[in-house]
Amino acid sequence: MSDAKGGHMLRDELRQTLEQGLRDVEADWTVPAAIINDPEMHDAERERVFGRSWVFLAHESEISERGDYVVRYISEDQFIVCRDEDGEVRGHLNSCRHRGMQVCRAEMGNTSHFRCPYHGWTYNNKGSLVGVPAGREAYGNKLDKSLWQLKPVPKLDTYKGLIFGCLDPEAQSLEDYLGDMKFYLDIVLDRSDAGLEVVGAPQRWVVDANWKLGADNFVGDAYHTMMTHRSMVELGLAPPDPKFALYGEHVHTENGHGLGIIGPPPGMPLPEFLGMPESIVEQLQRRLSPEQVEVFRPVTFIHGTVFPNLSIGNFLMSKDHVSPPTSFLTLRLWHPLGPDKMEIMSFFLIEKEAPDWYKEESYQAYVRTFGISGAFEQDDAENWRSITRVLGAQYAKKTMELNYQMGRGVYEPDPDWPGPGKAFPMDYAEANQRNFMEYWMQLMVTDPAPHSGNGKVSDDAAAETLARAEA
Amino acid sequence: MTTATEITDTTVREATEWLFTEAELLDAGKYREWLDLVAEDLSYVVPLRVTREREAETDIVEGLTLMDDDWDSMEMRVLRLETEYAWAEDPPSRSRHFVTNIRVAAGEAEDEVAVKSNLLLYRTRGDVATFDILSGERHDVLRRVAGGYRLAKRVVVLDQTTVMTHNLALIM
Repeated sequence: MSDAKGGHMLRDELRQTLEQGLRDVEADWTVPAAIINDPEMHDAERERVFGRSWVFLAHESEISERGDYVVRYISEDQFIVCRDEDGEVRGHLNSCRHRGMQVCRAEMGNTSHFRCPYHGWTYNNKGSLVGVPAGREAYGNKLDKSLWQLKPVPKLDTYKGLIFGCLDPEAQSLEDYLGDMKFYLDIVLDRSDAGLEVVGAPQRWVVDANWKLGADNFVGDAYHTMMTHRSMVELGLAPPDPKFALYGEHVHTENGHGLGIIGPPPGMPLPEFLGMPESIVEQLQRRLSPEQVEVFRPVTFIHGTVFPNLSIGNFLMSKDHVSPPTSFLTLRLWHPLGPDKMEIMSFFLIEKEAPDWYKEESYQAYVRTFGISGAFEQDDAENWRSITRVLGAQYAKKTMELNYQMGRGVYEPDPDWPGPGKAFPMDYAEANQRNFMEYWMQLMVTDPAPHSGNGKVSDDAAAETLARAEA
Repeated sequence: MTTATEITDTTVREATEWLFTEAELLDAGKYREWLDLVAEDLSYVVPLRVTREREAETDIVEGLTLMDDDWDSMEMRVLRLETEYAWAEDPPSRSRHFVTNIRVAAGEAEDEVAVKSNLLLYRTRGDVATFDILSGERHDVLRRVAGGYRLAKRVVVLDQTTVMTHNLALIM
């Protein structure tokens, strides 16, 4: 159902559920189960959440050379994210302007041009239409190629190596969108002189679970470790102290972002700064602010989510039950494929100039504990698909509200925390999860801004982007 | 005596039987017994593949894999399954390893044979009437020891880039 303004209306029942949800998350610290697995919620979410938010596309190191490209998604829309011949990062809708065919059908590669296999319209990697077969004969001189460039992603920007795109040309800047989260992102992204690189390519796999469960888990859930990952606790790969998350901080910021930062339990001899190599520790102490250094010094686990679907895991973990721990860094995208299905893209990153021994150990710790075969992560997917299945049913959807009450009346925000955002002095908390869900529900009840309704809302922005790039 | 460079009918039969026995143990969830068939210098790798144009030299990604285990990490997986908390496989999946197109060739060392096989792995979980199927080619190195063979190396090249199962909790 469309309204006069071209956006999609929410059905009354859906709106009531969400508005009640917003009241409940504030007053009762509960979240309606109906937001997890519901086709109408998913339909609305595509436009109202993914149509408005900055969504992670790629890391700059994946397209380090001119002509390098990867194909990535915002909701169902696919974009060629590439470095053009002048070294600029671009995002083009992967769809020929003639009949809509994909002009790029590989996941990654290097090319100066994209040629549509249907009729041969050819675009350079700036997105300009540069070739039309039999153009003179078929179109005379009536085809103004400059009007038929590949549609650019309406907004594209980079923060410390992370490339994000946004479908809303009116959206706030990426800097503003990330807000206070930047302080914490910098600890991960900006701690070394040469920066990070994605190793290889992301693992990709499909899980029959709603994407929000991954985002919710990473944004604030240290509580699940002792039960979900109990097998690894028993093998000594996770802290044996069931209260380990007491020794952490639980922080959230505007726009739904949040993270947990956990140090070792008292008396547990673990190295500072995630046990990173001396050369990196030297660099981070120089590069980061004193407050960031103070926050990072005791850290053994960082878990967080940049709203909506980019999560970060920076963990100190052993590669098996007989080896000492090594830290690794993973980024993951919880890419929605439906109300009950997501694709997970799991990236492994490392400091470019880290010593080889550390790169190897870090890779092994990552690939054996996290990702598609990871001995930790396997159990997360099992839980999320089970939740998704159960909460897709009518009685569960209508009657269940989920308990997000941890910490209620137990503790107040931490006045001594050196970083920005709202911080709580332990990571057994659900303030981040409520913050995430509340922001998600706010986006869901906010109707689309009025526009001309002819579907060409992005054309001006597109032309502007192109003009800027060509200037 | 049979050397590695001389592949006899007996070698082919022994290697084939080894693969079938292994499949039976894995489908029966007898991971501890399976571990007894594995060499201590095991390398077990599931490469990461991406969709690339035909002109690309390979679609296998360098530097990252879907799985990269040695004996210690494989033992960790088995120990994990022996706890009461390995939820991903408890209740266990029902699996069936279909092993075909077995090709036996001389290995690099005298006591080793190189065995290629095609694998179709069928998996169901819980009471949900759906299944997952993984298809791939395995490149194994079997080492002859007293009383049989040990798996020294396995590379499983899966025939998917976006993998259609929620985890790789099963040994392939």
